[in-house]
Amino acid sequence: MKFFEYLLKIDRRIIYIVMGVLVIIPLVKPLGLGVSSGPRAKTLFDAVDSIPAGKTLLLSVDFDPSSMPELYPMLAALMRHAFAKDVKVLLCGLWVTGAGLADKAVTEIPPEYGKKYGDDVVYLGWKAGIDAVILGMGENIRNVFPTDYYGHPLESLAMMQSVQRLRDIPMAVAISAGTPGYTDWLNFAQSRYGLKLGAGVTAVSAADAYPYLQTGQLTGLLAGMKGGAEYEVLIQKNEYSKAYMPAVAAMDSQSLAHVVILLLVIIGNVAYFATRKRGA
Amino acid sequence: MKRTIPLAIVLIMGITMMVQFFVPHPVSVGFYDLTTKWIRIVGAFALVLGTGSFIMFHSDKVRRRRQGWYYSIVSLIALVVTAVIGLGWGIRPGSILQNVIYASVLVPLNATMFAILAFYMASAAYRAFRARTREAALLLVAAFVVMLGMVPVGAAIWGKLPELAEWVLSVPNMAAKRAIIFGVALGGIATSLKVILGIERGWLGGGKQ
Repeated sequence: MKFFEYLLKIDRRIIYIVMGVLVIIPLVKPLGLGVSSGPRAKTLFDAVDSIPAGKTLLLSVDFDPSSMPELYPMLAALMRHAFAKDVKVLLCGLWVTGAGLADKAVTEIPPEYGKKYGDDVVYLGWKAGIDAVILGMGENIRNVFPTDYYGHPLESLAMMQSVQRLRDIPMAVAISAGTPGYTDWLNFAQSRYGLKLGAGVTAVSAADAYPYLQTGQLTGLLAGMKGGAEYEVLIQKNEYSKAYMPAVAAMDSQSLAHVVILLLVIIGNVAYFATRKRGA
Repeated sequence: MKRTIPLAIVLIMGITMMVQFFVPHPVSVGFYDLTTKWIRIVGAFALVLGTGSFIMFHSDKVRRRRQGWYYSIVSLIALVVTAVIGLGWGIRPGSILQNVIYASVLVPLNATMFAILAFYMASAAYRAFRARTREAALLLVAAFVVMLGMVPVGAAIWGKLPELAEWVLSVPNMAAKRAIIFGVALGGIATSLKVILGIERGWLGGGKQ
């Protein structure tokens, strides 16, 4: 019985060490568990894949560095997919702390495909106002963003000649860590302007998105790091990218982290019921 | 007057914007375009309020030597330094604000804070997640299925586990979420109407008439 009592009082530092070790090991030496793509990721992939060459995909970067490991791989994979299909990419963001992350993607990814800023990709940046920003973009993007993130007037960018408002964009994907995020794009861009919308969300907020998937308001969903990994696998399988897959690499760590948490819950419950019986 | 004018503005604008939604006339669309610009400008003023309350809260904490007051000093210094650098040297890519404050300070700090959550979650789940009741046991089983089904190791344990996790999310979870969304939406409509009609006046704050 002392054993069960001990199990009820495992020092939290031991838990932290076990967790830390099991997260680090697969990052150093991958277990190679593999990732298969689910139906939600496949739906989004097919939707992006069907955008005609020369048209524009809008990506809203609605996350900050804290959710970067989960969401940045999605952003990178979506951009790679678009560029491989000769689809132009327009980026914006509802989170001021995410502005630098979109800039990083715009700097690093287009050169892999020989794409030029202004012709194939434009980053609008961030503006205060959230819903008013989306509604304003529905009427006229230039009214909200007279210049891009780098200070170029939108009129001077070749890509923006054919993109005046949200109705000129066949599809958008909101990559969101919370609020503001995909729900704002749903409420204002999708419902009012009929913008076809996909979403990439953190694992904890995936459950909230399911009702919108069933109604068809959301076209596909990437949920958490697994969603990012699924999309990476899909673009790799279709030979759109040969780049390193950070989300796939991190899935082994996440697998072990989940297993550790579940084992701890089992240990806690077994010990709890064993000591309770004794008490009774 | 302090109350009557804001109430009148809310009543007129609330009803006008509701009607405007259904009127596609160019005048109506132009008015809508103008109001979205106003909202963005008014929204920017929230920065002034936020900065003011931030300074007041932390200054008060330092003055009264409340628990953790020294962290408030760090917060206030960070606010001043960031503002000075941003206003003095610009915010464009390549600026000190972007390269140092954002890329070298905010990004790693923010990522570290979030990463620590995994450790707290593991410890908290072990201590608090008990199947004391039937409902708690059901929640525990659902959590097990979803947590394992969402990672590759779940498929390695049992091939059908990802499908089962997807079913949990697509059927029982969605039914519950939809009910919550309907409740929130109806509550939102009711509250909005109460604000527009002047029944709900909490947003006016305190003070005399």
